[in-house]
Amino acid sequence: MAEPLLRVENLCKWFEVRRGLFSKPLYLKAVDNVSFELMRGEAVSLVGESGSGKTTLGRTILRLLEPTKGRIIFDGKDITHLRPKELMWYRREASLVQQDPYGALPSFMNIYRILEEPLLIHKVGDREERRERIFKALEEVRLTPVEDFAFKYPHMLSGGQLQRVAIARALILRPKLVIADEPVSMLDASVRIEILTLMRELQEKRRISFIYITHDLSTTRYFSEWIYIMYAGHLMEIAPTKELISNPQHPYTQALLAAIPDPDPENRKRFRKVPPGEPPSLINPPPGCRFHPRCPYAMDICRREEPPMIDLGGGHRVKCWLYAKR
Amino acid sequence: MEVRGLRLYYSTRKGVVKAVDNVSFQLMEGETLAVVGESGCGKSSMAKAIIRLLPRNVHTYDGSIIFEGRDIMKLDEETFRREVRWRKISMVFQGAMNSLNPVLKVGFQVGEPLMIYDGLSKEEAIARARKMLRMVGIHEAFADRYPFELSGGMKQRAVIAMALITNPRLVILDEPTSALDVITQANIMNMLKRVRDEYGLSYIFITHDIALSSELADKVAVMYAGQIVEVADAEIFYREPSHPYAQKLMASVPTLRTDKKLEFIPGAPPSLLEPPPGCRFHPRCPYAMDICRREEPPVIDLGGGHKVKCWLYAKR
Repeated sequence: MAEPLLRVENLCKWFEVRRGLFSKPLYLKAVDNVSFELMRGEAVSLVGESGSGKTTLGRTILRLLEPTKGRIIFDGKDITHLRPKELMWYRREASLVQQDPYGALPSFMNIYRILEEPLLIHKVGDREERRERIFKALEEVRLTPVEDFAFKYPHMLSGGQLQRVAIARALILRPKLVIADEPVSMLDASVRIEILTLMRELQEKRRISFIYITHDLSTTRYFSEWIYIMYAGHLMEIAPTKELISNPQHPYTQALLAAIPDPDPENRKRFRKVPPGEPPSLINPPPGCRFHPRCPYAMDICRREEPPMIDLGGGHRVKCWLYAKR
Repeated sequence: MEVRGLRLYYSTRKGVVKAVDNVSFQLMEGETLAVVGESGCGKSSMAKAIIRLLPRNVHTYDGSIIFEGRDIMKLDEETFRREVRWRKISMVFQGAMNSLNPVLKVGFQVGEPLMIYDGLSKEEAIARARKMLRMVGIHEAFADRYPFELSGGMKQRAVIAMALITNPRLVILDEPTSALDVITQANIMNMLKRVRDEYGLSYIFITHDIALSSELADKVAVMYAGQIVEVADAEIFYREPSHPYAQKLMASVPTLRTDKKLEFIPGAPPSLLEPPPGCRFHPRCPYAMDICRREEPPVIDLGGGHKVKCWLYAKR
């Protein structure tokens, strides 16, 4: 079997919360005991509601946040505790596209400078080579004619165009892994598809491993092979995209899918079967399965013990007691 | 309600912004009209024009709005405030859940319209607010809490309760669930349906989310660059929209349960300062003809209340 590009083992990211100067610190367990593997050239969607820990997981994998526990293996190398100097190498291999294109790009640099920055930091090429690479990057994200766009400043571009610049910047060092955190949620509906299509195209062409973090399940089927469902800091279910959508096993995934409308005039006449309530606090999460207070199938054991990740075959895994053999 | 030729222009330093330009539609009692379109198409401005909450830089504000048999555009400000706003037509503003006053109890804020418009005492108003909170799915004990003690979904429900408490006939919902999670959103949609069925309310539901619009819409109006380009019954619209813009918009909606090829609309919406001549969509329209570039298309009646503003459907 091929070696995965990224292996995450029991990864935890806890934030310390102090209520008072001398009180015992509490921990907000934003990411708790998460494990998965990502193959080369594969695109996965990491789906969860706000506060589920998906952004924290993405940032911890990129080592923008220090992991609390667990291991991150990238390209066969343990990067969990790399020192800043060695991290330079990893920064080149793994990059990020952020949610807010308006805030992600420095307003005082023109597009050319923005794209040149990572090349300068990593000492790539001479002036001429850099220029070539920047123009090619702009062409790839279809900001053409490139000569026009290269010397514009961020405020002169629309949200969609800015996000293209952010993508070009994330790809300019030819990384093996790109994490895109809600890359289109601030854009208009008609532009979203354009940007997602572009990212998918570049991902396939360059065989980049891609983690698409989103709360919007309906776009995932078009842009990824796998879906990971996250809830309250835990990975709840992992499956190939189509399998997950047509055959969800975790009660939480089922609820999430039931909540999403497709455009259909019948919708107005029916009520959706969704659980009441809202996700739990991560400082004091419910014991056992974190979904049990909202779960229609909750059993005794769900209230007491955290469920294991159960392999259903075909890559489909679910963290739920319903599927445990007893 | 019937809206005819509604216009709302703003004057800015750069010129006159035609945010709402000659908009007409009808809404029957108990019916819901969804207004969809991209950001900046004039959806929210239209809502503000209907409930007459206008900014200072209004340049033009005219047309007629016939509501329960009288033209409410002709009412003076005092009469409008006393008899229409919140009494007959209320609104849930975009992002309103973040505008709750942090130092006042939720019950007081929800009941406040009753003190202002009906002259109820504080005690009576809060008692009614408790009932209304229950109606929108919040335990009435939360009437005595402060906004920070409520979750996002609960705050949004409280804001909806505030719009319902005066028992209006029409509620304008401007993106009532944006920034909420999908399960919370589905719960609120369920609640809005229940309230609609119980009170026989009408909604004008403003959203950029086409899939979500079908949760409430009996009719759909598509806005583009300040104009309504198509109005159709939900049955027709979600299956086969007629205006090229509406078709493109539908084709760009990702669906969860069916496979389809997603499309996007090249280009960007025009500036409302100087919209293109002729049809405002012509620079992005795949079917644009000569006449589209020169003359503004008329509104063409396709029968059964289905109207479309496009030259393709004109008989020549």
